[in-house]
Amino acid sequence: MIEVSHLSKSYGSRPAVQDLSFTVPDGQIYGLLGPNGAGKSTIMNILTGYLAPTEGEVKVAGFRLPEQAQQAKACVGYLPEQPPLYPEMTVQEYLDFVAELKGVKRAQRKQQVLAAAHRTGLEEVLPRVIRSLSKGYRQRVGIAQALLGSPQLIILDEPTVGLDPAQVIEIRNLIRELGKAHTVILSSHILSEVQAVCQQVLILSKGRLVAVGSPEELGETLNPGSRLRATAQGEPDTVLAAVRSVPGICKVELESAADGQVTFTAESEDAADRRAAVSRALTEAGCTVLALAAENRSLEEVFLALTEKTPEQNTPAEGEEN
Amino acid sequence: MLAIFKRELRSCFHGMIGAVLTAFMLAATAIYFVALNLGYGLPDFGYYTLYRTIFVLLLYIPVLTMRSFAEERHSRTDQLLLTSPVSVGGIVLGKYFALCVIFALPCLMDAGMILVLKALGATGTSTLANFSALLCYYLMGCAAIAIGVFLSSLTENQIIAAVSGVAALLLAYMMPSLRTMFTTGSAVALALFTAIAAVLSVVAGLRSKSFTLGCLSFAGCCVALTALFLLKSSWLTEAFSAVLSALCLFTPFEEFVNSSFSIPTLVYYLTVAAVFLFFTAQGLEKRRWN
Repeated sequence: MIEVSHLSKSYGSRPAVQDLSFTVPDGQIYGLLGPNGAGKSTIMNILTGYLAPTEGEVKVAGFRLPEQAQQAKACVGYLPEQPPLYPEMTVQEYLDFVAELKGVKRAQRKQQVLAAAHRTGLEEVLPRVIRSLSKGYRQRVGIAQALLGSPQLIILDEPTVGLDPAQVIEIRNLIRELGKAHTVILSSHILSEVQAVCQQVLILSKGRLVAVGSPEELGETLNPGSRLRATAQGEPDTVLAAVRSVPGICKVELESAADGQVTFTAESEDAADRRAAVSRALTEAGCTVLALAAENRSLEEVFLALTEKTPEQNTPAEGEEN
Repeated sequence: MLAIFKRELRSCFHGMIGAVLTAFMLAATAIYFVALNLGYGLPDFGYYTLYRTIFVLLLYIPVLTMRSFAEERHSRTDQLLLTSPVSVGGIVLGKYFALCVIFALPCLMDAGMILVLKALGATGTSTLANFSALLCYYLMGCAAIAIGVFLSSLTENQIIAAVSGVAALLLAYMMPSLRTMFTTGSAVALALFTAIAAVLSVVAGLRSKSFTLGCLSFAGCCVALTALFLLKSSWLTEAFSAVLSALCLFTPFEEFVNSSFSIPTLVYYLTVAAVFLFFTAQGLEKRRWN
């Protein structure tokens, strides 16, 4: 669906995106994750043909941008960071206008507008003027607008910003449902959202791609040592000594010790599962195991580790450019 | 393009601005019409009403066009238009034609006034002359609208778009008088053309990010201008006055006021409109490369 190779974009002399390459296959939900200013919106603006890349090649649905922009744009529905609404129009007028703008045939227009309004829960506000709508409803109008013209690719820039928790869940369900029939790309700086909705995640930092993969993969591959967390009955010293004696365990940290219960975390050198060995060692030392669970590094930790690491890596490169 | 055309037309009357502007134009022409054409019984609508109310256009056109692109950019709705499968040319034309239709409203009412004159006994020839003057007046307005649309596409502030529109049209309005200050000799023309060459070279240098190219193009222009000045200085002055007269947007209309039908005038106005619409489309296209 999308092929991006060696994409760079600078605003004047300030680089926003540098040497980015990725592909998005059909029918998946991709998440663009990154802190503010990582270049998420820039990438989305390039994919939708709003901005032209400074360097590199971008193909959307097999059409090269910006040369075949018109054909490519016909395949894309886009919700920008700020929903592009005309405040003086009613929701109905606005959706009719967008449907016509996107070249939806007159016969299908009414039905498509109603379908988009239904999916985003806008039926009751159709006759209302957009100016009088709340932020959440405006966001939904923006999403409805992106669905018109039944595009193959739907690009949503921070779709759940400004919504209340119930609406956020609704929109996430909607995105999951859209992912069944369309390719969806959404950007977010909220990790739990990406983790909940996306099948694949692209993590960006300072305009560079730092990691690609499914949320689970990222959690595993970027965490060389596995970690486990356990609670056992016994004296803290005995428990910790028993765990330390297990081969392959490199770091044991005491979390709490009260009422004869000791809770600790243990990290092993490699990714191998050491739960059985730890349990056995504790039993041999005469301590009863009350709880024992492997801990995966959450995407949040991965994200922080990656995005904090990159500035140092980037410094020499940026120095060269300047 | 049709969708943009319809939306633009509707939004003009949603926000009252279309109605207010039409009423304003109508009031201005009606005063002249009643006082001169009806009051003194003069059948020449072109001279007594249209020609004398040109100054109203200096205000009407910029206010009409200031919103066109500046507002879209300000409210980020340009992202919707520019990511839709409509070409940039289609967007510009859709908006432009909508504005031309709004300007047609007061012109239609002017046509009504001409018919009133005919009913009151104006001859067939003078009615025809009045209508052809109205046609030229309309095309002149459309050319000015293209200038206003272009200026609006340069900024995201409507006030700046309106003020620069008034300034540009005022300059064109006063150009016939300003021109007399510059007819002294070819030295002034040389200085002016050198200045233009310098500006163009700086722009070319900045655009291509090449200092040598800028310097070379400026040197080339200077050599050419000096050669012209030494060998054929009359060409310079003629070219200079030709440039200045092309800037007098409202002067060619006088041909029609004098009851003569002039094709070059109509071509001039259509060209001005086409050139500025082209600039607008290029400007929008260019912005996505920055």
